[in-house]
This record gives sequence, C-alpha cells and structure tokens, in this order.
Amino acid sequence: MLKKKICLLGSFGVGKTSLVARFVHSMFSDKYHTTVGVKIDKKTFPLNGEEVTLMIWDMAGEEDGAPVKLNQVRDAAGYLLVMDGTRSKTLEVARSIQQRVENEIGNQPFILLVNKVDLRSEWEIPEATWDELRAAGWTILETSAKTGDHVEEAFLGLTTRIIQAGDDDDDDD
Amino acid sequence: MTTTMMTNPGGDAARTLALANLPAALDLAVFEITGPGFVGHPVGALPAWLGLPAGIPADLCDQYPMLELFLPGLDVWEGESDVWTETDSTGQDRYLQAVAALSEGRRFLVLKSLPADLHRLQQSDHDVQIQKEKIERLSRELERATQAKSDFLARMSHEIRTPLNAIIGMADVLSATDLTAEQKRCVEVSQRNGVALLELINDILDLAKVESGKVELEQVGLDLRDVIARALEVVELRATRKGLWLRRNIADGVPVHLQGDPNRLRQILINLLGNSIKFTHQGGIEILVEQDPADRTPGRLRFGVRDTGIGIPPEKLDSVFENFTQADTSTTRQYGGTGLGLSISRQLVELMGGRIWVESTVGQGSTFYFTANLVVPEGLPASGPDAVAEQQPVAPPSVTSQPLTGMRILMADDSEDNRFLILSYLKRRGCVIDIAENGAEAVELFRRNSYDAVLMDVEMPVMDGFMATREIRSLEKAENRKATPVLALTAHAFADMAQRGANSGFTETLTKPIRNTTLLEALARYAPAEPQMPPPAQDKILVTIDEDMADVVPGYLDKRRAEVSLYRQALATGDFSAIRNLGHKMKGTGSGYGFEELTALGAALEKAAASQQSEEIAVKLDELTRYLGSVELEYRKA
Repeated sequence: MLKKKICLLGSFGVGKTSLVARFVHSMFSDKYHTTVGVKIDKKTFPLNGEEVTLMIWDMAGEEDGAPVKLNQVRDAAGYLLVMDGTRSKTLEVARSIQQRVENEIGNQPFILLVNKVDLRSEWEIPEATWDELRAAGWTILETSAKTGDHVEEAFLGLTTRIIQAGDDDDDDD
Repeated sequence: MTTTMMTNPGGDAARTLALANLPAALDLAVFEITGPGFVGHPVGALPAWLGLPAGIPADLCDQYPMLELFLPGLDVWEGESDVWTETDSTGQDRYLQAVAALSEGRRFLVLKSLPADLHRLQQSDHDVQIQKEKIERLSRELERATQAKSDFLARMSHEIRTPLNAIIGMADVLSATDLTAEQKRCVEVSQRNGVALLELINDILDLAKVESGKVELEQVGLDLRDVIARALEVVELRATRKGLWLRRNIADGVPVHLQGDPNRLRQILINLLGNSIKFTHQGGIEILVEQDPADRTPGRLRFGVRDTGIGIPPEKLDSVFENFTQADTSTTRQYGGTGLGLSISRQLVELMGGRIWVESTVGQGSTFYFTANLVVPEGLPASGPDAVAEQQPVAPPSVTSQPLTGMRILMADDSEDNRFLILSYLKRRGCVIDIAENGAEAVELFRRNSYDAVLMDVEMPVMDGFMATREIRSLEKAENRKATPVLALTAHAFADMAQRGANSGFTETLTKPIRNTTLLEALARYAPAEPQMPPPAQDKILVTIDEDMADVVPGYLDKRRAEVSLYRQALATGDFSAIRNLGHKMKGTGSGYGFEELTALGAALEKAAASQQSEEIAVKLDELTRYLGSVELEYRKA
C-alpha cells in the first residue's frame, strides 16, 4: 500500500477544511470553522488497482503575521493550493505560498483549487489571470466543497500526479 | 481532570519525583517513551479526551503523525510542538500541543489541551478580516458601478441633448415667424417643455456628478457683482413674466473681488432664485450678501435669497434640501420641478465649506441662506474701494439686440440640422458665415480667410473639433496671426470637457442645446469693436420686395450667405466647375427674388470660373460677401 502525505495550503477561510470534510467524510457545513494549527486526516482508496492512503494535512490558513509553517510541508509528496474565487486577495496569498513552498521542497506536484465555484457569479478575477497561470504550468480546478464539484478529482488528480512523479520517499507498506 | 498521578508498574523513586513536579491539575496526558519509535507508556490516568485506553503502550505516532515531525529522532528530546487539532471521542475539537521533557535520561512526552478560547479568538479575527475583504470588494464594485453610471449618463446626456438642441432651437426659430395666436401658443408649449426637460437633464447630471465626487471647485478670481448679475439675468424673464421685482443688496464692507468658483456660486443662486420665483406670486425676490455673522473670517460670506412667496411650513423646513423633496408632494403637481435644485445646492454649498438653511413664515415668504468660504486675494483689502454697499434694482438684461454686423464667422458642424439652426439664429444679424462640415474643412477655410470668431462643433468626422482647433492655433502661431476666438459647441456636459477644451485652445465652450440668446451673447462678446465691414448708414443696401415674398426671401439670402463658404472652398481646391454651377444657379435666381446684384455677381462668377480666373473669382466673392452683409429688406404691400 502506498502512503502519501499531502498538504492543503492557502489563506484562511478559503475552504480547505471543507474540502477535506467533503473528500474524507462526504460532509459539508456552511458554518465557517477556523482551523487551529493543523488537522490531520487520512483516507484510503484504490487507485489504478492499488490501495493508497493519503495523509491529508489540513493546515491553518495563512494570515498576516502567521505564515504557513514550512516545516510541516517539508515531507509532503504534493499539495493542494486553495483559494476562494470570491476573494481576489486569496489568489495573491496562494501565489506567495506556492513560491515559498517550492523554495522549501522543490518542484513537488500541486494543483490550484479555486474553491466556491457554486458562487461563481461573485468571482471577480479576470479570465486572463487563469490563462496566465496555466501558461506558467499550473493545473487549476474549480471546486466546490458545498456541491462536491471537482473535489474528488482534485485529491485523486494530485495523488495520480504524485505517483507519476515517481515520488517514493514515503513508506510503501 | 487528572488529579491522581500514579506510577506505572516499573516506576521507581526518581521517576515518581520527576512526575511529581508536573502540574497535575493542568489536564495533561503524560507518557514515558520507552521506544522503539514513539511507543509510550501512560504515566498516571489519561484524560478522557485523549481517547486512548490508560495503561496500554501505544505508538503515539500512529495516533499523532505530528509528533514525527516535531521529534525527528530520539536523540533530540526537548521543546514544544506546533499546535494541532484533534477531534476527541465526543466529536469535539481539541487543540493540542506536545512538550518533550528529559528527566534523568528518561524521555517524557506531555500532551496538553489548549484552551478553546484560542479557537474563538482566531475565528473572530478571521471573521472580521473576511468581512473587511467583503466590504472592500463591495466598495470596488460600487466604484465600478458608479463609473458605469457616470459613463452612461455622459453618453445619454449627449444623446438626449443633441436632438433636444434641434427641438428647442426650431421652436425658437418658429416663434420668431408670423404665427396665428393658436400656433404661437403651441410653439410656446413646445419651448417651455423643451426647456423644462433640458433643466431636468441638467439637474440629474449635476446631481450625479456631485454624488460621484466628480465636481471639483475652481479657485479663480471672481467679481461678486458680476456673479450675481449673471444669475439674475438668467431668471429675469421668468420674474418679469410673473410681475415680480428682483433686487440685490451687497452689504457695506463685503469685498467683491474674491477667489472661488463663480460658475458653481452662480448655479446655487440661480437654483435658489428659480425656486423663489416659482413659489412667489406677488412682490419679489432679493439677493442679500453680507459677512457671515457667525464667522468673521475674511471671505466667509452669507448669502440670502429672500422672497415674498407662499412660505414653507415649519415641519418641512429640514427636508426641502433632500433629493426629490418638495414641501408637499402636491407641490410637484402644482408647481412642477423635481426638487433636485435645492439638493444640488446643498451639496455644492457643502463643497464650498458652508451650510444652507431656510427661514420661513407661511404666507409671508422664505429666506434661503447659505454660507461659503471664498478667498480674499492677497494684496486686496478685505473691504476697500470696491466694497461699496449696493442696493439697487437690477438693470434690465442686456440681451441680444446687438447686431453682429459685418462679423465674419466660421462655423464647423457636421450636422445639417445644427447648421440650419445656427444659421436661423444668426440670420438678419448682419454677420457673414462660412460653413465647414468637418474639422479639416474648417482648418482649410481658416487658412485662407480671417474670422472674428469660429463656432466649432466638437464631434465631427474626418477631424474633430479638438484637433481642428489645435491646428488653427498652430496656424495662427506660424503665421503670426492674432488669436481668433474659438467657441466650442458640444453636447458633452460631462467629465473633462473643460480641461480638454482648454488644452486644445478653445476660447470658451457652449453646451448644446444652445439657445438663441446664449449664442448671440457669446458672439457679441467677440464682435469687433470696429466691424470689419461696417456698412455705414449710407452703405446699407436697401432692397424692396413684395410683402408676399417675406416668407421666402430671408431664407434665400441665408442660403446665399451659407454658399459663400462653398465658393471659397471650391476656389481653394481649384474646383472651378463647382463655382461655375453655383454662379449659374445664383444668376438664374437672384433677380427672381428681387436681387439684380446677385444675378450679376452670379454671372460674373460663372464667367470667371469658366476661364479659371482665380483672382477675379476672389474679387467677386468679396463683393458678394459685402453685398450679403449689407443688404437690408424693406417690404412693400402687394
């Protein structure tokens, strides 16, 4: 069995915990509940005929004066960068975190999740921005923890890319 | 709560001692790590929230993956971990932190549960920040919407004013012709409603501008007497029609040479005067100006507009300055208007650092007061020779009987309706008008002729009014000609017109729809003191025509006047066949309307054009211009 650690990173309030709850427990709550420190969940599922266990590190949202703790990211095989489509500031935070994480752990697979696609009419980021990020090699998924849109694709997609990247640093049971 | 510390089965005195130093009452879970890995034995009873059975060794890393990160190896065994969240057996989140402690070579791991307040504080901090972002976002959206509204209004203002220009103008033109009593009444209704609509559009635009913060006050020199006189001029006609008197009263010691925004000051006065006239049926209205009794700062003035009108009930005094508010909704039905004027005035007064209020007695009249901070320019006494007390009735308006005899005007406008309208306004004023249909034609005509004034439409095909005026200015510079007044005509009431106009070299900007009197007054300002072609009394060419031709002859002459520019253009481009055609046409029609001279000139132009004699054509065109500028009509009964 493969066991991989992934991190969810991004500004506070973008829906990281909700994405994990949707993926791991198929649950969603509209109530905002800020994450203190880090919360670790795991989920085991078959992927391409193999059992994979994801250790999902749902990390406290970054805020002014409290940057992401890079030591917690250090042994991650990949990460989901999460932003809130309705809050343009959270894209800046995601870009900044990505830069720091890449400096810390190198070129690990990641996917940018633009969350809250159920509120797409309230998004205020121009299309050109997505084009620009895609051109820079970013994979972008529009997700909604509320409706479940693309949530599974996000986690499975990242896991697939981690496996493809041949990252076998983690334990193989 | 763990209150009892128990030694495990293999405990000894030293360990008991070490453990005894741990604060037992702090809800701690204590393990001794005995390895391998992070297998630990609970020390004492474990708190219920931990969810681990007491007394059973467990690999704590299975339970808490955080620990591996925190304690990379057994050789390093001290410090505190990051905080992490665990959901306890009751489903409640707990915020945990691990502390590694060495005691006499033995490794202990303490898990502590942090206060739930930690979460509450962070959560409320995040909530506040998310709300703040939402507000910022709404503010951005509002700004975008306001901008879109302004753009829309600017565009609509242009679209509405242009046809309104033609409607009001044509009604003006029509009213000056011979009409039956019924026709006259119809035209008056058209005029009155056209003007009312125009005022409404202006008010809405003004309010939009003030509300979107687009009004910036000018700080230029002004003559208080002039500002008041011009405000009174605007309302003079309305007052006279109602039989009301108008007075102004500038108190002793009030400086009249000041700095401020004369246009906005005048606008406030016009609004208040208009309002007073509307609600006054006998008596009159007086403008009062004095030093603000509550603030002796030089330049701090208090204006009053006092009427003998119907008055305002006390309970309505505060609300009359709100948007779309009149003292009574029935007031709108009875007196018309939108109630926007006072609201705009209030906002303008506030921009001037003052306040506006009204004092009133029902049945006796109202006085609208406002204060404003104007600047007394340095070097001028706060009160001086110019600061004489004045109390005088207003002289009748100096309107537009002034002829523009001999004045040469270049008009550039691509709209045939507008050209016709302006020609209608200017007919029988004795001026000579050359016409260009775009900016490029205007520049070409300007290059070849000299004018006393240029009427320049702003939006034109080929070359717009801004560019054409810039060309004209550089032409003047290059040829050392004196600056010709360029009066821009625009339906754009918004945005940066004034600045762009000034940059391009406009002398002044007239806003469409332009009224007859406004145009004539504006042109009169630039009429040469000594007309270029002053047709002295003896030079007037009196032509007698039959009375039944009275309807058509002035129009015929206007067309010929307009044609002069076509001749000149054709001459400039060497289009002799056009000159020949025009001459031919004039030759054939002149005497039919009673103008033998025009027939003769037409023939001469046709002939000169046939042999391409440019100089001769130019001479004949000058003759034609002079003739058209001097001819006066006398009607004889058929």
